[in-house]
Amino acid sequence: MESFNPNPTIFITNKPSRATQFARPHSLWLEEQDSDLEEDYEDESNAIEAIDQDEIFELIRSISDPEHRSMTLEQLAVVSAPQITFDSKAPERVTVEFTPTVPHCGMSTFIGLSIRVRLLRSLPSRYKIHIRVKPGSHQSEHALNKQLNDKERVAAALENPALLDVLEQCLSTAGRQKSD
Amino acid sequence: MERIERFVRTWIASGREEEVRETVATISAGDATLLDVVKALGDYLTAEEDNLRTKGNATRTYLNLSWYPLIAKGVEFLSLLIEKCPPEKITRSAVRVLTTFMCSKLEDTETIIPALSGIKSLTAQSGFTSGDTLEVVKAIFAHVRMRVLVQTQRFVVFTIIDTLMAQHRQALKSMGEEFLTGYINLAEGEKDPRNLLLAFAIARVILIEFDISHHVEELFNITFCYFPITFRPPPDDPYGITTDDLKRTLRGCLDATPLFGTLAIPLFVEKLTAGSPRDTLQTLDVCLPVYGSLVVRENAKKLWNTLKLEIFQPTDIETETMALKTVQILVQTIYAAYDDAAPSDLEMEGLAKDVCDECVRILKEPEKSQAKPAMRVLCAFMSTTASVAQFTLAQALPYLVKLFRNPDEIQNRGAVLQLLTDLIKAARDATTTETASESDADKIPLTPYKDEVLAVLTVGLQIPSGCRAALEGLLAMVNTPKLLTDEELGFIVHKVNEILTGGDVEDEDVSDAILELLTGISSISPRHVSQTTLPLLFTSLPDNAPARDAESDRVKYWRTLSFLKRLCIQSDLFETLVVRLSTKIELLCIPPIEASAGEYDVEPTSAYAHSILRTLADALAKKESLAHTDLVKYLDRLVPRLFNLHIHAALTTDADSLIGSHPRLVAVSAEILTVVMQTAPAQKQEAFLSGIFPLFFDGKLEKGTDGHWKIPQDAKFYPFGGDAPSSQKNLVPLFGAAIIALHKEVPLPVGNESEFLNKLVRWCLLDAENPVQFEAVLHAAASLLNKGAEAYQEFLAQSVDELWNTFLTASSASPDVRKRMVTVWTWITKALLTRGHPLAQSFTDRLFTLFGDHIVSWDAARAIGQIVCQDKILTKKHHAVIKFLFAQKFANTMLPRLIDGAQSPADPSLQNAYLVALASLIKSIPKTVYAHQMSSLMPLLLRGLDLPDHEIRVNVIQTLLAVAEGPSPESAFIAEHASSLVSTMLRNCMVKEMPSARVRIAALQYLATLPRLVRYDVLHPQKAVVLRELAKALDDPKKAVRREAVEARTNWYKFTG
Repeated sequence: MESFNPNPTIFITNKPSRATQFARPHSLWLEEQDSDLEEDYEDESNAIEAIDQDEIFELIRSISDPEHRSMTLEQLAVVSAPQITFDSKAPERVTVEFTPTVPHCGMSTFIGLSIRVRLLRSLPSRYKIHIRVKPGSHQSEHALNKQLNDKERVAAALENPALLDVLEQCLSTAGRQKSD
Repeated sequence: MERIERFVRTWIASGREEEVRETVATISAGDATLLDVVKALGDYLTAEEDNLRTKGNATRTYLNLSWYPLIAKGVEFLSLLIEKCPPEKITRSAVRVLTTFMCSKLEDTETIIPALSGIKSLTAQSGFTSGDTLEVVKAIFAHVRMRVLVQTQRFVVFTIIDTLMAQHRQALKSMGEEFLTGYINLAEGEKDPRNLLLAFAIARVILIEFDISHHVEELFNITFCYFPITFRPPPDDPYGITTDDLKRTLRGCLDATPLFGTLAIPLFVEKLTAGSPRDTLQTLDVCLPVYGSLVVRENAKKLWNTLKLEIFQPTDIETETMALKTVQILVQTIYAAYDDAAPSDLEMEGLAKDVCDECVRILKEPEKSQAKPAMRVLCAFMSTTASVAQFTLAQALPYLVKLFRNPDEIQNRGAVLQLLTDLIKAARDATTTETASESDADKIPLTPYKDEVLAVLTVGLQIPSGCRAALEGLLAMVNTPKLLTDEELGFIVHKVNEILTGGDVEDEDVSDAILELLTGISSISPRHVSQTTLPLLFTSLPDNAPARDAESDRVKYWRTLSFLKRLCIQSDLFETLVVRLSTKIELLCIPPIEASAGEYDVEPTSAYAHSILRTLADALAKKESLAHTDLVKYLDRLVPRLFNLHIHAALTTDADSLIGSHPRLVAVSAEILTVVMQTAPAQKQEAFLSGIFPLFFDGKLEKGTDGHWKIPQDAKFYPFGGDAPSSQKNLVPLFGAAIIALHKEVPLPVGNESEFLNKLVRWCLLDAENPVQFEAVLHAAASLLNKGAEAYQEFLAQSVDELWNTFLTASSASPDVRKRMVTVWTWITKALLTRGHPLAQSFTDRLFTLFGDHIVSWDAARAIGQIVCQDKILTKKHHAVIKFLFAQKFANTMLPRLIDGAQSPADPSLQNAYLVALASLIKSIPKTVYAHQMSSLMPLLLRGLDLPDHEIRVNVIQTLLAVAEGPSPESAFIAEHASSLVSTMLRNCMVKEMPSARVRIAALQYLATLPRLVRYDVLHPQKAVVLRELAKALDDPKKAVRREAVEARTNWYKFTG
């Protein structure tokens, strides 16, 4: 395999901020550790907690980079939470932007594909996903964006067993960070 | 003699073991000698020569052949006798004669096999001499062709050589060249692992002790051809030889002589790249030091270029770590001699220099991914030899400092700090292992760079991207023995205080790192932290609680408190914490004078006070878990102040507006009391009881209430009175908290224990106003009963029946009281069962009589599990009396009974009660107790998933999850029910059908595990349905549920044949 960027820059990742580590939302009281009340609380209501930027980012941050399998897309700053945006008029239209590590990165279509497949599998079907590279970050940006959102080309790619195999490997790390 | 002849004849004909045994017995008894046997065998043994003499006649030759098997039989019989005979019956001369005889039989292909086993037995005899050795070895070399023998026979040959090697090594050495050539010839081409184990052991001795200078290459060939070992034992290998056995013994050959060096290293280099890096790395680790610095230095470049691939493009972490270790050994091997010759100011050259240069060059781009492995190599060098470490530090450290100060590299400062920190840690680890004992600070490798590194790190604290690394680096310096002075520690604390005050430390990792650093410093010298950091933190706590809507201020004080509780674990710091925080609570509890009752919002203040109290409780619990011994004193210092606070509030008329009477605060105080109490010795506990009994039962307020507030003299305190105000009843948890932590030998200051216990229980049933009061007193009662069952005979004999009749079976009892009574009964039974009291069984049986009751049926059923479930009251820490394996014994009697009940065709409501009991029991007991019953439990558990109770469903699913855990879950019975499990779980994970999020989460977790438990072909038909249904669960309103749905769906996507 041709190496597009043998020595990429690594970015320091932050632990997901836990604003609610001390108390339940809107509570004055410090959360007690292992309190029995907690279980009741979970069942209390099924009020809708909407899917937000962080939740979508959580889904894609730990996908492995196809060229550097030991590193995640987040570590290489290919994806980030602010690059996920919701259409203000239709909240179910989501745009996910990513940044290739180098402008000639030939893996960009593959990265886009892995993000798309991950989201297809993990988001409710009412969401419409638009994927694009960060403007100005890739030499063939236009063609790339077109390819990433072409349903038929995505479907065709997923029929290729060799490609699918690599894809599954990159996605196999996607759920990992959730446990900590 | 005739007997012997008879034995011989019979044996020749039959080959039975009895004749051998009988013959041996005759010889042992002294009735015959080995010589007699030889005589008796005469014809068989000598027939060969007679017949050979008369060759030429075709018929005769034909007849001769017919003799051969008989000769072989004769030799075999003799061999068996030598093996079985007691050694003292085989004389020196017999050994001599027999050896010569057996050797002569090696010439003949028909007799070679029994002859070899005869020789094998002979070599073990004490009469076997060096002369015999030479004869045997020469005969073997001359006549034995290994290739035509089967494995067992070759094994005999190796055993002979092995025995001779052990007992007559000098004789073998004296043979010189002849032995080496002969043995190499013998061992060449061996393939069987059983034989190889012996061959490798023999080869090791030869390589170490014999003069092999002329045969290095041949010996290399017969050992290195097996490297790397690829043998995999068959699944049911009866010989039990493992791959590791072979690897280990072979390694014993490979590292046996330095002469292998030049031949071996190129081979290792080849094998490293050829796909067996781990074995090769481990072998290199043992071989390189043996091969010696000269050979290794010649090949160093080649080795490094191969090893570096495993470090810079690692396949996995383990191999990478091993490669780094091999690099260390490589460097140690080359430079060990240098250090001995001229310790320090030697100009470094060769591999260490080249590698250092190479790595430092990579560090020019500190933010890139290759910088990390480069640093790992440099760090590995720190633990090699003193001079290499010194050289490495001199190359890398100033370079990183320079990089940090370079204005062009300003955006990479975070990465530089991380690399610097790694290097400091490596230097520290090298120091603690090697030079810790030496008292000389100059010997610490970091000392020359101390000032500039400190400067860089403290500047680094201010850089957001590097703060964490800088803190870790500082901690590594603090942990390096004898590196920093007390003054420098103070300087670091000062710098850390600056970031603490400079703004909010919101990043959790940073605040963790700060804590670790400060904790590290205070374990060496608490002074700096307690004098500068603590006051800073205490003043940052607001004097008054932030208003209801000031959430960010609230988060700020929570953050400070959480920081304090983790920092103040060390005794001195904790003492300060207690003093400052208890004062803070008391000040908070003074109601503001100017505010009128309507305006003043008491809840934020209560919540603030609660958070502070919580901080103390958590810190205490942490200290308790670390077995600190300074807890007891807080029974006199902290506890009375808390009592004073709460009692004062409870006795004041407008108690509701007072913070001290808030039940949540009382609960935390109770927790604190229990922790402190449980660490107190019996005597101290007794003294404490003598204070609180008069307080709680006689209203004697002068005891145990000295503190900040004056208690009104005329006030009446009677929390256990039936008509006591709620504010007073709310304080009973404080009483309960003291009781549950008592040692069993502490006597209660009451006249009649049974009466007292009965009083507590009745209070629970009749006077408790809420679950908190009810449980606090019930737990106290259960704890007393558990620890002192002997003292409560009267209670157990009479009162319990009265209670049962009055509150449970009497028609006048209200449903609420009846349910309470079931809980009371549960705890009484639990207290008895835990200590293994004989009454526990009959008390449990009584619960079964309630299964048909239409009000308390399910409560009684759940009680069966609650009796054995783990709780926080009857624990070892609380000095409860716990019988070994009580839960297992209980479960073993209950399980069959419940399974029967749930299966019996009686009325369905009774069946369901049994099902509830079963679900409750299984949840409470360890998996091992019920695992073997899973096949009969499975259908019942599936039925349990249809019961209209969320709690039960969660229990059942969690049980199923517990069963599925572990490396080899018993999946046969899961496969059997797979499709109904799938559909049940799908039903339980949809928000439309299942309102409880806990059930949905559990069901999704189970769906996520199923692909791991069941073969693909079993679940294949369901895959499409599951994926489609799970897509709906992805749209669950709760975030936590969605997360599990994603996990489950991912696993099902991955699930392929």
